[in-house]
Amino acid sequence: MIPSPEPADPSSPRFSHPAEEAFAKILDFYGIAWVYEPRTFPLEWDEHGVTVEAFRPDFYLPDQDLYIELTTLRPELSTRKNRKLRRVKELYPEINIKLFKRREMRDLMVKFGLYDQAAGIEGTQAQKPEGLLRKNAQQNAG
Amino acid sequence: MSVVTISRQIGSLGCQVARLAAEALGYRLFWREVINKAARCCGAPDAALADIDELGLLGLKTSLKASQSYVEAVKRVIEDLAAEGDVVIVGRGGQTILRGLPNVLHVRLVAPAGLRAERLAQRHQISLEGARAQVEARDRYRRNYLKRFYHIDWDNPELYDLILNTARFTPEEAARHIVQATLNLPFPARQETLFPYDTIPGAC
Repeated sequence: MIPSPEPADPSSPRFSHPAEEAFAKILDFYGIAWVYEPRTFPLEWDEHGVTVEAFRPDFYLPDQDLYIELTTLRPELSTRKNRKLRRVKELYPEINIKLFKRREMRDLMVKFGLYDQAAGIEGTQAQKPEGLLRKNAQQNAG
Repeated sequence: MSVVTISRQIGSLGCQVARLAAEALGYRLFWREVINKAARCCGAPDAALADIDELGLLGLKTSLKASQSYVEAVKRVIEDLAAEGDVVIVGRGGQTILRGLPNVLHVRLVAPAGLRAERLAQRHQISLEGARAQVEARDRYRRNYLKRFYHIDWDNPELYDLILNTARFTPEEAARHIVQATLNLPFPARQETLFPYDTIPGAC
């Protein structure tokens, strides 16, 4: 039996990556309710029944009943994550889970003036955030 | 048993007007709930996100099959809400799904693009340049959504009974016009007259 995600206070979670914080800001921007890392899915157990591998999706969206996992751009990391995701779907077919790639996200945020949101996404192959640089320059000048 | 559908441009204060009108009429207001309920009904929760993501920030791509299934579910949810009556439904093609029904008022809220961008910039504390880009992108998204799934032109005035420019009216004034027009609608004596269907499909 799968326990329901425990309600958590999303106002002050400690994100493990700046991209997650940026993603949370996008969800806030769209007015989408979210919970950060509300539960862990065991994937492998040893002979004593102890969990040796697990998967904890980054976000849960209660209104959509959807789990979200963010990926980095590097394919070698995505491959392992994809395998875990496939395993989650095998073991827990009743849950909805979606993998998000951050590609182009920052470009779009900058284009639409969402500089604060874009600031959290680093290390992508995105365009130079000219709007972001411009805003920082304006702030420094002020 | 009346219904109000509200189609709004981003930055036209549509949600504010809808809320005020619903409060004044004593109607229930449905906006995002339609999207989420529909997506959950058709088993495509990410379709809800794709629909909410009008700027494409999340980069979601849903299959044509999932999209069509989702749009059908949206239609059913809106029809069910309308059958219950006394509701204000914001967006999601309500003006075409409930088109021609006598107890439904179709409202369109507009404002000049420049003013909408200014409102957006102020509300979200973003640059005017970014706000203009948002206005263009969201207008394009909503226009394409209706064209793709319902084959209608979003800007066709014949789809609406009442078009209000919020550059001229405050949200309170706009809501008052909607309330007045709604109170003048004919009220069907029996629910069967609301929908000419044999059965009204369930939401889930």
